[in-house]
Amino acid sequence: METLDQLFVLLKEGILQIAEAFLPSGLLPFVSILVSITAIAIFAPAVMMYLTWLERKVIGRMQNRYGPNRVGKFGLLQPIADGIKMLTKEDIVPAKADRFGHFLAPVAVVVPSLLLFSVLPFGRNMIAADLEIGLLFFLAISSVGTLAIFIGGWGSRNKFSLLGAMRALAQMVSYEVPLVLSIVTVVMMVGSLSTMDIVEAQSGWNGFRWFIFTPWGFFGFLIFFIGSVAEVNRTPFDIPEGESEIVAGFHTEYSGMKFALFYMAEFLGAFAFAALGATLFFGGWQGPFLPSWLWFGLKTFVLVFVIIWLRGTFPRLRVDQLMGYAWKFLLPMALVNILAAGVWYYLSQPLASFASAALLVASYLLLSRLSPTGTRLEKRTYRYAE
Amino acid sequence: MGLFFVVLSLMTLLGALGAMLLKNLVHCAIGLVLFFIGIAGFYLLLQAEFIAAVQILIYVGAVATLILFAVMLTENVIGETTLKGLGRNRWAALILSLVVGGVLIKAIGHQTFSAAQVAERVSTREIGRSLLTTYVLPFEVISILLVAAMIGAIVIAMERNKRMGE
Amino acid sequence: MLGPGLLKGMAVTLKQFVESYTKKGSIFTIQYPEERREMPEAFRNFPILVYDEDPENPRCVSCDICAKECPPRCITIVRDRDPNGAGLKKPKVFDIDVSVCMSCGICEEVCPFDAIFMDKDFELSAYDRMESLNFHKEKLLRPNSYFHKIRPTDAARIDANLKAKQEKQAPTPPSGTTT
Repeated sequence: METLDQLFVLLKEGILQIAEAFLPSGLLPFVSILVSITAIAIFAPAVMMYLTWLERKVIGRMQNRYGPNRVGKFGLLQPIADGIKMLTKEDIVPAKADRFGHFLAPVAVVVPSLLLFSVLPFGRNMIAADLEIGLLFFLAISSVGTLAIFIGGWGSRNKFSLLGAMRALAQMVSYEVPLVLSIVTVVMMVGSLSTMDIVEAQSGWNGFRWFIFTPWGFFGFLIFFIGSVAEVNRTPFDIPEGESEIVAGFHTEYSGMKFALFYMAEFLGAFAFAALGATLFFGGWQGPFLPSWLWFGLKTFVLVFVIIWLRGTFPRLRVDQLMGYAWKFLLPMALVNILAAGVWYYLSQPLASFASAALLVASYLLLSRLSPTGTRLEKRTYRYAE
Repeated sequence: MGLFFVVLSLMTLLGALGAMLLKNLVHCAIGLVLFFIGIAGFYLLLQAEFIAAVQILIYVGAVATLILFAVMLTENVIGETTLKGLGRNRWAALILSLVVGGVLIKAIGHQTFSAAQVAERVSTREIGRSLLTTYVLPFEVISILLVAAMIGAIVIAMERNKRMGE
Repeated sequence: MLGPGLLKGMAVTLKQFVESYTKKGSIFTIQYPEERREMPEAFRNFPILVYDEDPENPRCVSCDICAKECPPRCITIVRDRDPNGAGLKKPKVFDIDVSVCMSCGICEEVCPFDAIFMDKDFELSAYDRMESLNFHKEKLLRPNSYFHKIRPTDAARIDANLKAKQEKQAPTPPSGTTT
């Protein structure tokens, strides 16, 4: 059981021991880093490939279709076929495009989403870099991808691309605020930004003392989840690439592997945010019986499934609805949530849960009544751009 | 460490020069982002991880985004060259940058640096504590400034909306 | 209030997702090359030539009516001749360019000898668009039994008509003789 739990950690130690025999001891830290990086660099694209498969399967089933089932058993080789297709496709660069920006964007969009994996605790002792500021690092890096998306959209010299890029910028700047504020509650409770510490703080109750079971944790998770779905441009928040309005948004002018890299960044981002959600609110790798990394994977994939499920269910939001929802509903809700977390922390237990739950539910009802997202039939006014 | 320092310095200088000299505003902004990332790298070298992460979160994530928004409001957003040079502001810009540079050099010159000082590592917890105790006044003043800026932006937006409605 | 409507929508999709595994017949997709949908009898695609017993003597007498009536002019007929140069009542060349054919079925309507009928075969993909899609007589000829298979009602009616016609002008043998 113990060996199974620490399987990958022991594997790395074994590799290091072999390396020790051949290499001078000064190089060992680099070998250690290299092993972690290699593991992530192999794991991440593999996950991305099979997320595309999972998404197509799940959405297909939701729409009463089979999804891919031709290449291999259950279509399991479909991602590999897609990869070969992407690699052999012609790479088209528009004649008037800004070549530097057009080339830079797909590279710069994947790098941050790979870096996100370095602070995720995949299991007990299984983390590439246990930074003291892990959570902050995650948020900082995830905001860099937006710039790459903008540069790609601008560099394509296409009006749809530029529109998509501007939408992406506006959306991500808006949704980052409630996202970060919802995470603040967890940091308040744990008193640390390290992802390992956050997971450790949720031990107890036989590995089920997750933050999701507290009132602030529940609402915090909802805000975090909505914010992260918006942050990685997934339906129903995918207006930057809304194909019904602006062709394909920022990646209209991309083809072949460059397009695949944008896709990869999106899926890796979705996976990383699901993993972070599992870490922050679902106790990370905590859980009885099964090895820790299996628990982590299980929780992450449940959240990924929910993200796909959202895509299979909801239509795309309108731009003004999207922004209004972030600023007029999520942001106040996130602020109230911080207050509720404070109430929960300082009152004694049965009262604390009740008080913070009452506060949150009351403000939820109030805000949803005030928010302009409800049906209101009015004469619509149109206005042209200046 | 020496190698990292050289690479980071080159990257930062390249970014700064690019931000100043390139003919296309968006390219300038990309140069600026490179410069910001380089500075974050320096903070990492100084073992100030928190400051480095905040540098990326605020400057690359937010400030650069806002700069790009501002660039999008200028003329000739798409094209080979969007800048026609500084024009008649050239001399004013030179004088201003000399003054700012002089002040900065003077301020840095006042400090004495020693190897012992650099090695000290400040944890995130201490930064937070000192922000809310020792430096609470500047912290609050900055907050008020930001709130004032936000209110100002909202007021401007509301007036604009009213004008549109008429 | 915000929320219940969203949850209701998600419940619907989850139900479809689960039912696609548990409930038979909830997936509508037909796995085409392995599974096929039964074509309705009135479905028609491109013309074929029908022969009764001998492929060398089809019902077609190369009267050229169909070629003249064909709106896009996709039918080419050359009458067969015996060694003396006299015309025979059968075609030597009968080509239908299916890349031009628009599946109108007028040829079937106008044929006085019930020789040309619309087929149901729609899997006609080819690697080039010139010769592979210009169907020659050999490819167009089908036995009457094939016609019975694809369009039983029509075939029965046509056969009854032909039989009635044959009985009316009983003694003359209908095929292969010179005029």
